Amino acid sequence: MGSQSSFDENAKRCLTRLIQRAFPHSSFPDGPYTRTAESIVTQAEDSLPDKLNLAAGLASLDAAAGGSFADTDDAAADEIIAKMLDAPFFGFVRAISVVTLYNDPETWKLLGYEGASFDQGGYLHRGFDDLDWLPDPRIEEYDGPDQLVEVAPADEPSNEGAK
Amino acid sequence: MAGKSQSLGKAIDNDTEVVVIVGSGAGGGTMAYELTRQGIPCVVLEAGPFLKPEDYENDEWAAFNQMAWLDARTASGSFRVARDFPNLPAWIVKAVGGSTTHWSGATPRFKQHEFKARTYYGDVDGANLLDWPITLAEMEPYYDRAEIAIGSTHRHGRPALPANNNYKVFANGAERVGYKYYATGPYGTNAEPYDGRPASIQDGFNFQGDKNTSKWSTAVREIPRALETGLCELRTESQAVQVTHDATGRANAVLYLDADGNLHRQAAKIVCVAGNSIETPRLLLMSASALHPDGLANSSGQVGRNYQRHTTGSVYARFDKPVRMYRGETMAGIIADEARLDTSRGFVGGYYMETLSLGPAFLAAFVEPGGWGADFTELMDAYANTAGMWIVGEDMPQETNRVTLNSRIKDKWGLPAADVHFDDHPNDVAMREHGYSRADLLYEAVGALGTHHTPPYPATHNLGTARMSARPEDGVTDSFGQTHDVPGLFVTDGSLMTTGAAANPTLTIVALAMRQADHIGEQFKAGAL
Repeated sequence: MGSQSSFDENAKRCLTRLIQRAFPHSSFPDGPYTRTAESIVTQAEDSLPDKLNLAAGLASLDAAAGGSFADTDDAAADEIIAKMLDAPFFGFVRAISVVTLYNDPETWKLLGYEGASFDQGGYLHRGFDDLDWLPDPRIEEYDGPDQLVEVAPADEPSNEGAK
Repeated sequence: MAGKSQSLGKAIDNDTEVVVIVGSGAGGGTMAYELTRQGIPCVVLEAGPFLKPEDYENDEWAAFNQMAWLDARTASGSFRVARDFPNLPAWIVKAVGGSTTHWSGATPRFKQHEFKARTYYGDVDGANLLDWPITLAEMEPYYDRAEIAIGSTHRHGRPALPANNNYKVFANGAERVGYKYYATGPYGTNAEPYDGRPASIQDGFNFQGDKNTSKWSTAVREIPRALETGLCELRTESQAVQVTHDATGRANAVLYLDADGNLHRQAAKIVCVAGNSIETPRLLLMSASALHPDGLANSSGQVGRNYQRHTTGSVYARFDKPVRMYRGETMAGIIADEARLDTSRGFVGGYYMETLSLGPAFLAAFVEPGGWGADFTELMDAYANTAGMWIVGEDMPQETNRVTLNSRIKDKWGLPAADVHFDDHPNDVAMREHGYSRADLLYEAVGALGTHHTPPYPATHNLGTARMSARPEDGVTDSFGQTHDVPGLFVTDGSLMTTGAAANPTLTIVALAMRQADHIGEQFKAGAL
């Protein structure tokens, strides 16, 4: 193989398709998935076993699809993935995907997360308590007539004989 | 990213015998301040750097990579962390302030019966239960002092924090299922300015170090104050590798590596080991000598054993309306109704429910390790409409749950990595299942569309590996944290805990360190040390 990348455009399309089906979000455009695939390829290139496993795994996806996994429909793709779950390359792809796809300001926004807040003064004046579909609850500790029974009567050591 | 060792505060000669404190977190940081304010000089050796509020990141992975203890470690045993996170048994901090940098702030006290677990729980099969050598009554004055130092809300005149969105769901659910003992605290973050630090701005980044300094940590309170006394030298990026003793068996020095790997020796009158419940037993085990062939202060064989991580689990509930749980204080919501002993529930010990929020980055990593596909993305797609809570309760000390030196895996210095072996006790499993079911009922009572049970993640509460005991054969230290075997050697962190109780441990670690510091101070005055 010399020093050339083990992953050509077809392999990257295959990988991107795998991530899209493993983490399907109808709201996500291609960008976050493509970036995740790039990150996986970069990390695989750093480790010979990972590189070999990933290359073989992607080839096996194409083989199972009878040509191009990237061009399969969703149902067929999911069926192929279901048979690959125990393959080392799938664990490698999943582990990096989960910390890359969801560590992306673009997907944060799509999921409704606002990211860093300190430099905007936190949420003190930006909705930390804007939930309005439940009544405002008590924030102080209970000060009614009851007291928490820390030890049930049957669990008092003096009652050991009675148990 | 190796930095440079820094020396801060008063320069103390390596040959001058002082109190040497290993670690600067809840235990070590408190000890440094409590001793120096009594006029006793200290050297603090901290393995990590001094991160300042301006260094903290409002970004989960960036902050994790900045401050988490990521040196080689292994996890073994049947607990799920060994499979999901085999090189990260614990999520603790390597920086000045230790894990008070990322603690969220819940400060309940331990209860009277929890100091007498063996008496109250009886002979639980497979559990190595023992009563503490101290009582709640002895701890109460120190709990008061610790709450005042931390500035716990709801205590000593400190006001409650307001209800954030996650708490609104949590507390309404609590009310509807009949719980009474819920509130936004006690919690170690300022609701109003206190002790020179400002009120919370509800930025939602508790686990990442609080840039606003509203949250108590030893990095913003005890360590700076200890340095101001002019009696303390803090050496950062200084990894303790051995505690030595003299011919009489008395602790006399700590050997440590600086950031460049140069070995130094600091002479000691007293050594306080406060490296958290993995590094502390690791250091004692690495300090084996002819006199202590099984590890320093280990004649009982209990060093590293009885490792506890609290019985934990998280529950995330999805609603048809927005929650935005990430806005505001992460854990300013506590339910204490289940923190009691009632074996009719099917287990001994109790647990708390506490609000919890993660950003999408951490939620994806922890919500269902190994998860993928539509079941997984459904959880993530519901992010904005999700409320979360943590279940935290007492787990059973087991002799076989233990920290040992891994004979194959080394850290970057070539020293044996710690292996953390853990099997759930059946009592732990029963408690967790009970907690999950009660959390489901609570969230269903306020209209949850579905809930998800998240398994325990790498432990933030690590306890019990050098436990206090009345008798030397049952544990590692006496009731003041001095090891039974080695005069002058103290343990000053959560490793001391004879049993773990249900409550988050930081308040108790601080209270124990204050009590220990008073004891050491008295011994100094009496000329006994």
